[in-house]
Formats: sequence, structure tokens, C-alpha cells
Amino acid sequence: MKQLILLDSEAVNALAHRSHPKHAKAVSQAQLIATRRTRRHEFNVAVPVSVRVEAGWDRAASEWTFANRFRIADIALDGAAVDAAARIRARTGASVTDAHLGAAIQLAAADHVTVITSDPGDMRAVASGTRIVVIPI
Amino acid sequence: MTREEAIDRLNELLDSTDAATVNTSMRLPHALRDAAALAVQEFGVAPSTTVMTANALRSMLEAVAMQAVLDLHYTEYPETRPSLADLAVAAAELDEHPLASQPDVIRRYAREIVERHPNASPEDVLLWADARRYREARQAKEAA
Repeated sequence: MKQLILLDSEAVNALAHRSHPKHAKAVSQAQLIATRRTRRHEFNVAVPVSVRVEAGWDRAASEWTFANRFRIADIALDGAAVDAAARIRARTGASVTDAHLGAAIQLAAADHVTVITSDPGDMRAVASGTRIVVIPI
Repeated sequence: MTREEAIDRLNELLDSTDAATVNTSMRLPHALRDAAALAVQEFGVAPSTTVMTANALRSMLEAVAMQAVLDLHYTEYPETRPSLADLAVAAAELDEHPLASQPDVIRRYAREIVERHPNASPEDVLLWADARRYREARQAKEAA
């Protein structure tokens, strides 16, 4: 079973920065994913590029080294994702980053999508009926 | 090569888009090679044994890279290493366990299980929690 884990900007910052109050929680999730990957669970972790912008994640900057090493993929905002995000934003009034997360949820080529987020309600709204697991950070 | 350099080089190689292939001198047990060929031919698990082998190797290397990053982090900052209870709470959230919203209860069961099973996994904690709650519910029913 393919499982996609999406992070919002709060989750990105929590994982990346040791001083973040939720760093321990983010590391626990990362450790669990790493352990399950060694048991052949097919987990992929990804971040929409607009979330990276909001979080200030510059892959060239040294303060992001820890997050960079985690093999977290970028999800581009192009093609069908733009259209899907625009529809979500028009329907829900969500921010651009949340709409992009919603598009990523809807277009995911995975059996199961989990979102680690500081806004569980917003994520359920932009998921637009797509079944997701929401982990509050 | 330092551990940091090894992690960065591993990630760099895994991210490479170079599609060039190489014949390797890797030696596989006959039976394993034949099993792989059978799995491809009869169960369609991959387009070829080469693809299956490469995918399995990539998957394992990505897991190794991720764990190496965490291990390095724990070496530098030991206080960031999650406890069994932390991991059990994380597993409950990821797996939508009924106790996911009650981390304190999970932590209590984590403390209980390590008394008998010091090497318990996060999943063991949740199974223990299920068993304990089932027993408590049954006792309450019988008492009523």
C-alpha cells in the first residue's frame, strides 16, 4: 500500500528546527516512518512548494540541512494542480498554501494520504471529501 | 568520509537522474534469482527481475538514509530521541487508533508493557492497550 505523508508549514518548521516546541513530536513521526520504511512500508513524504515558501524552507540554506536530508519531495504547483488548487480556493476561501495541499491530496497517486498539520479543520475542508488521516502538530 | 558526508553522498546518488546502467558482479544465490524470476513471470510483481531488484534496493537505501539522518541527530542532540511512549503515540495517530486522542493513556500502557517486555515496539504498546481496554470493559460488564 502506497502511503503519502504531507506536511504543512508548521510541521515543516517543527521537523526542521530543534528549538520549535513541537520538534519532539515531529521527530517521533519521522522515526516511526523511518522504522516502517525499513519494514517495506511504502511511505513517501512530500511538501507542496507553496508550503515550502510559506515555511521559508530554502534548500540551499544551512539551517535547513536536517530537513533537506530527509528526502522530502517537492510537489510542484503546475498543470492540473493549479486548476485543482484554484477550484479549492474559490470554493473554500482557503489560503494558497492550503489550496495547494488540497490539490496534492486530491491528485495523490497513493492509496492513503496523511497530513501533519496545525490546522486539521482546514485540511479536512480542502480535502473536499477525499479520505485523509489528519495528525495535528 | 564523515557520517554527514556519507549521508549527503547517499542522498545525492539516490536523487541522481542518470539513467545509465551498469553490469555488476553482484553474486546472488541461485534460488533467490530463480524465485525473483518466478515472481516476475507468474505474479507480475515488476516488469523484470532487474526492475524488481533495483526498486527493492532503492527502497532499502532510502530507509537507511532516513534512519542515518535520525541517528546522527540523536548523537548530536540525545534529548531529541523519542521514547517508546512517544513512538506509540505517533503510531496511534498515524494508524487512527481509538486512543490517538488520549496520549496520556498510551503513555501509561507504554510504561506498563516495558516492565515485562523491555524491547516492545510502538505497535506492541497499542496491542497491549487494546487488550487491557478489552479486559477492563469485560470486567465492567460482568460487574454490572
